[in-house]
Amino acid sequence: MNGNAVLDINDLKVSFKVRRAGRKYQVRAVDGVSLSLAEGEVLGIVGESGCGKTTVGRSIVGLVRPDSGSISFKGRDVTGAGLRDMRLNIRMVFQDPYASLNPRRAIGDSVAEAGDINGFFTSRAGRSAAIAAALTAVGLDPSFAARYPYELSGGQRQRAGIARTILPSPSIVIADEPVSALDVSVQAQVLNLMMDLREQLGLSMLFISHDLGVIGRISNRVAVMYMGRIVEQAATRTVLDDPRHPYTRSLVAAIPKPDPSRRILGAIETGEPPSLFKRPSGCAYAPRCPLASDRCLVDVPELRSVDDRALACHNV
Amino acid sequence: MLSVRDLTVSLGPATAPVDIVAGVSFELAKGEILGLVGESGCGKSMTSLAVMGLLPQPGPQIRAGRVLLEGSDVTQLQPWQRVEAGHGRMAMIFQEPMTSLNPVRRIGDQIAEAVRVHDRVSDAPATARARELLELVRMPDPAMQLSAYPHQLSGGQRQRIMIAIALACRPQVLIADEPTTALDVTIQVQVLGLLRELCNRLDMAMLFITHDMGVIAQLADRVSVMYAGRIVETADVAALFGRPRHHYTRGLMDCMPSRNFGARRLPTIAGQPPAPGTVGAGCVFASRCPAVREPCRTADPPRAEVSRGHEVLCAFPLDDGGPR
Repeated sequence: MNGNAVLDINDLKVSFKVRRAGRKYQVRAVDGVSLSLAEGEVLGIVGESGCGKTTVGRSIVGLVRPDSGSISFKGRDVTGAGLRDMRLNIRMVFQDPYASLNPRRAIGDSVAEAGDINGFFTSRAGRSAAIAAALTAVGLDPSFAARYPYELSGGQRQRAGIARTILPSPSIVIADEPVSALDVSVQAQVLNLMMDLREQLGLSMLFISHDLGVIGRISNRVAVMYMGRIVEQAATRTVLDDPRHPYTRSLVAAIPKPDPSRRILGAIETGEPPSLFKRPSGCAYAPRCPLASDRCLVDVPELRSVDDRALACHNV
Repeated sequence: MLSVRDLTVSLGPATAPVDIVAGVSFELAKGEILGLVGESGCGKSMTSLAVMGLLPQPGPQIRAGRVLLEGSDVTQLQPWQRVEAGHGRMAMIFQEPMTSLNPVRRIGDQIAEAVRVHDRVSDAPATARARELLELVRMPDPAMQLSAYPHQLSGGQRQRIMIAIALACRPQVLIADEPTTALDVTIQVQVLGLLRELCNRLDMAMLFITHDMGVIAQLADRVSVMYAGRIVETADVAALFGRPRHHYTRGLMDCMPSRNFGARRLPTIAGQPPAPGTVGAGCVFASRCPAVREPCRTADPPRAEVSRGHEVLCAFPLDDGGPR
């Protein structure tokens, strides 16, 4: 483990049993992921739907049980451990602010829920003060504590979701697509808020998103996932300015640039998305890859250190 | 080809209507792609449903305005009446292809159904045409895919099927409402490329609705920006991105995360759009506008043509946009 890592994930594997057309399949959602998150760092995980990025996040907070591998928090193994004491330290922000708040509970009660369950508050006054402080920190008036979710806009709900996350002063925040459901103008406000909170509270953050634009804005480092594995990992600028893995290249090239003089439609080839039920035997990206060679069809490339990054490809 | 004039769509009783689309006008020429961009709730989907004659009933009503397809007003016609009157050559695709397709019918049958309705042919020629349409939308193995069910296809392939169904009536105008929002970026780029190629090849006009300025920049010939039920700016895509004149358009561009990675904080637009029914006198953007002046709060802003083909709904448009 790294010296100042708050979170270390080693060779994490997660699979799900799925039934399709009367047949049972074992789908490997995460296939040997190792990550470490340094204190105060924002690590972005980017990839397309089904690549396993959400499953990594959910394994860390114990919402899914890994098949193998280990997760340690500040050097202590917490894989499948008693969740209760981890709950206040590692917390999650969810994607859909409409689904993640109980519609029948006042915002204040939702924000305080984890604290209530874990005996975090010593007095009623202390509880109210903590709710007010959390709401203020996310830019909501403390009077929002008495309101219900239906009275709030999408952006305000996501702020309330973030208030709930930061109330017990966690060390790590796992943010799973926290701005994907928001309009661009509101998205910018919430991203700014998350960057401010990270600085003020010294949070370490795992930021999961399909949007390289958002990831590029908030994270220090980026891990690119494809079919359950990390294919490239480096400092954010390195990944965005000089992507080397063919998949990362295609992902970066496909971002619709807000510049009509740089049109890409018809100019790039991106191939068909993979099926999780038919995992290729070699490199999972080989069927779409312009650089694929014979070796790629049989040999799974390991993630290895190349120059300023980690890369899993035989041909670059 | 398609001309929409002062379209107003309202909710609620006729005595106290709440306008969710307020006086929207635009023209769509043959083969042209017009992008309609705006945030959720701005009325862009309601505009497209009103143009298609697909407003949910009971629900919002067209209170004023006209929708002219090749010169004839289709505003009061039901979709089937449009087909009978020969105005059926307008089609629409939606955001989530899975909810638009019937999960228990083979896709070949679903495409052939649309062919039968519009061409009034029997099963065999309808199936042959369905296969042609699959080739047109570049489905691999079209003959085999005819017998596939929607769940056997990927999201991008399903959207290709929706496009094939839409093309069954040989539309002159295709309305696409966020057709790539549910897709991954690598697939989005393929579907957008396909749509543009089809517009060129078939000389088809397209109204493309999205919240994504990046997609607009990649695809559209002209752009209309919508805010609170109104079109606040219309221009050629190069002019709009090169020199936005409305403060809202400028704000939308500035807060895109993929612009200016270097900057520490993202610029934002303060506040939120007004809820329908709370719009009072003056400019609808006044409460959030960084350059608001006193007259904006009381007088409706004029619609001015600031340069050829570039219209803006603002009393004090940006003029220092300059090359960006």
